[in-house]
Amino acid sequence: MSILTKMLKKKQVQRKNDNFRQKLDHSIPGELLIHKDYQENISRIKGELGNSADLGIRELKIGPYQGALLFIDGLVDGKGINEFILETLMDKKVPIEEFDLFQFVLDQTVALGSVSTITNWNELFDKLLSGCSIILLNGCNKAISGETRGGETRSIAEPTQQLSIRGPKDAFTETLRTNTALIRRRIKSPNLWIESMKIGRVTQTDIAIMYVKGIADEEIVNEVKQRLNRIDIDAILDSGYVEQLIEEQTFTSFPTTYHTERPDVVSSQLLEGRIAIVADGSPFVLTVPAVFVQFFQAPDDYYSRFDLSTSVRMLRILAFFIALIGPSLYIAATTFHQEMIPTTLAIAIAAQRENVPFPAFVEALIMEVTFEILREAGLRLPRAVGQAVSIVGALVIGQAAVQASIVSPVMVIVVSITAIANFSTPVFAMAISARLLRFALMALAALVGFFGIMLGLIVMAIHLCSLRSFGVPYMSPVAPFSGENQQDVFIRYPIWALKYRPRHIARGNIVRTGENQKPAPPKHGNSHESDDTKGN
Amino acid sequence: MNSFIRIFMLLIIVIPLLGGCWNQRELTDLAFVMALGIDKGTGNEKYDVTFQVVVPANVASSQNGGSGGQGPPVVVYKSSGNNLTEASRRATKKIPRELYYSHTSIVVIGEDLAREGILGVLDALDRDPEFRTTTVVIIAKDRKAEDLISVITNLDKLPMNRFIKTLEATEAMLGENIKVTIDDLLQGITSSGKEPVISGFIMEGSTEKGTSPQNINTTKPPAMITADGLAVIRKGKLAGWLDYNNARGAVWLMNKMQGTDIDFNWNGIKDAVSTTPFLSNTKVAVSIKNGKPFANINIETAFKLSEINTDFDNEDPKKIEVLENRVSAQIKSEVESAIKQVQEYKADIFGFGENIHRNHPKIWGEIKHDWGNQFANMDYQINVKSYYRESGLRGKPFWSDLKK
Repeated sequence: MSILTKMLKKKQVQRKNDNFRQKLDHSIPGELLIHKDYQENISRIKGELGNSADLGIRELKIGPYQGALLFIDGLVDGKGINEFILETLMDKKVPIEEFDLFQFVLDQTVALGSVSTITNWNELFDKLLSGCSIILLNGCNKAISGETRGGETRSIAEPTQQLSIRGPKDAFTETLRTNTALIRRRIKSPNLWIESMKIGRVTQTDIAIMYVKGIADEEIVNEVKQRLNRIDIDAILDSGYVEQLIEEQTFTSFPTTYHTERPDVVSSQLLEGRIAIVADGSPFVLTVPAVFVQFFQAPDDYYSRFDLSTSVRMLRILAFFIALIGPSLYIAATTFHQEMIPTTLAIAIAAQRENVPFPAFVEALIMEVTFEILREAGLRLPRAVGQAVSIVGALVIGQAAVQASIVSPVMVIVVSITAIANFSTPVFAMAISARLLRFALMALAALVGFFGIMLGLIVMAIHLCSLRSFGVPYMSPVAPFSGENQQDVFIRYPIWALKYRPRHIARGNIVRTGENQKPAPPKHGNSHESDDTKGN
Repeated sequence: MNSFIRIFMLLIIVIPLLGGCWNQRELTDLAFVMALGIDKGTGNEKYDVTFQVVVPANVASSQNGGSGGQGPPVVVYKSSGNNLTEASRRATKKIPRELYYSHTSIVVIGEDLAREGILGVLDALDRDPEFRTTTVVIIAKDRKAEDLISVITNLDKLPMNRFIKTLEATEAMLGENIKVTIDDLLQGITSSGKEPVISGFIMEGSTEKGTSPQNINTTKPPAMITADGLAVIRKGKLAGWLDYNNARGAVWLMNKMQGTDIDFNWNGIKDAVSTTPFLSNTKVAVSIKNGKPFANINIETAFKLSEINTDFDNEDPKKIEVLENRVSAQIKSEVESAIKQVQEYKADIFGFGENIHRNHPKIWGEIKHDWGNQFANMDYQINVKSYYRESGLRGKPFWSDLKK
């Protein structure tokens, strides 16, 4: 025991040292000021960047004065630089009389929307590496940075993961600004606030926190900021990194943050008082706090009429349970509770299993694992090969395995239904959770039958009730129960009756719709009542 | 403290494992007993028990994955013992799988045993957790239960389905038999002032032919299973049989009539008019008159015309009144003859005693010890009211047009 702890401590010390070194390495120019000699500055930048090939340097002559334009090739909009910096700089006639060159260039020549003055090296590298152009002038211990971000990015495309029949067809891209704009376009309110920060010691990834001031709970906003500020990691390559660093509990299979690639979903969640976290380089936007029922609400639910939405949502919840306990029900019923199967079916299953050498549990396990492998392979395979694999897979699972008496046809049906049911959960993260827990429940069912399944479900329920997402109970508004928020849980009320925002998430401003929103045929005489009573 | 909680959690996690697949049985380890036959023992033992065990592969032979066996869908094992448990445990010597009773849907009792008394077998059927109390009980009339159980039939691949479905169909369409479950039987036997009935089945043809594949490879099976009559049980013993119209009369009186047909002569033609009652309700009030129990029986029924093979004006209210009276009279005579027959057996299957018990508990206390005789001598009055409700797709029969 003591040896182990000693070893662990040693390792920890080592790690600390590593961190320290890394920090030292990167704490390059510190608070050093920019030199007056621009050549000196250029050579310094070259040195810091290790003569990187993508560093573009353009020497300039402004009248009698010398200067240089620096940018990172590929990150900047080349056309913009040509038109709005180079052309204007070169065209300008420089007055002969005494004047402030720096101010002149800053005010009169750089024709860009966003220009700023830089005095220290840290800032200079920040700007340079995030796609700004830097203008160094000889004799000035300041630099000008111009916003010329550009370069090749993916354009807005249709969502690939969260599809919907009706509703907007745009999805987020990898560019932070595009993403925030997609949301801003939907919520044209000054109350939509965006705060940004940089996370990742090496990657310096831009992160934006978005919320609707007045609807979102200030406490949760602060909590989110605090958790983001706490992050000390070298890289943020996707919002998934952020998710795993800020979620409440690691050891749970249930997602406690919501992610989506649909701007309309983020907008609706912002309006429910949630907070969106947009990470540069990730087409998935996180929203917190997330609650369990949220993962069964698909965007279609709100775009189509309520009766249809409600029944489809019920179906989705049913499918979730099928995906969760389908195979375990089969195992329990065939190995413990044969009396529960209708006689004819019991005999039919018995006949099919007659030649199968494995117990039901092993049989189920074989099929489930085979399917999981197929699914994973289908995901990773190059598109050209994918087709072939799916045909082989279908044949292996559907036909050959049965004919070879490795599994029974009923088992194939059970696995297929389970697999299909699993895909009907709108958010993949929740579907994966059911996929994992299914195996635990199968084992329990093989050990003690329905009793085991019940035990498993009870433990699951207790676990779910103990979860929290940014202080909000995960099972709300079911547990703790909130009567007025049942409008959007199992039954999706008509839009005009969705009166309140979730009470556990939005604080204060919770009324969503105005009075008398129920549509009705016009009465005689007055055809319209005033309809300008929408809340916020 | 922390380590204590950890160890505690570990122990809790281990709990399901300790169960160790207790009671786990694969479907292929089970012998599904579809029907159980109980006969009077031929040897030293009290009972001969036959188990009709299904051969799954032969039932589901048409399906993919089954072995596609060609043999009969069931196999019958026989064993004997002084009680059911003994017999079933002894049977395991011959049967390669564990006997499983949860899907047993029928218990056949041989007539010999029924005459001697069936009380000895009921507790096992009631007590065994696997056995369902909804299992149907029938009596093999003039036969051994073994014979009925061994016959294989067509139409229904599982022979036991044959019994159940026949019983259900004839109960709904003819009304001479009723489905009696173990639960009903026990209730009838234990309640004071009421005796149970059990439906009877006969087998036409020879057992030998009935048990061979011959029986299902022909359109005219040499051995047939037929529902036939109601067995009247008195004190756990078969007292006698009610047949045809008597059985139907008893069913009317027990208020179990779902549907039947009543025919009578018209214009001198035999059974020219056929009617089918589809709704009926029987109310019985038993009172004490002159120191003797007296039953007041009221039967109401609605019927429709199903066949007229003569000239008959069914649009004439007067004719319809006559028709209704004829139906009532027919029902009345059937009920009357049923009561007379049952009175001979001294077994109160109609629950007249129960009726007195409920309405006149004090008097019941005095007469219950001699109820068999009291029942046999009691008087009754039967009022039948029937209502003409439907004529089917036609008004007057075409016979009326022929006359013109």
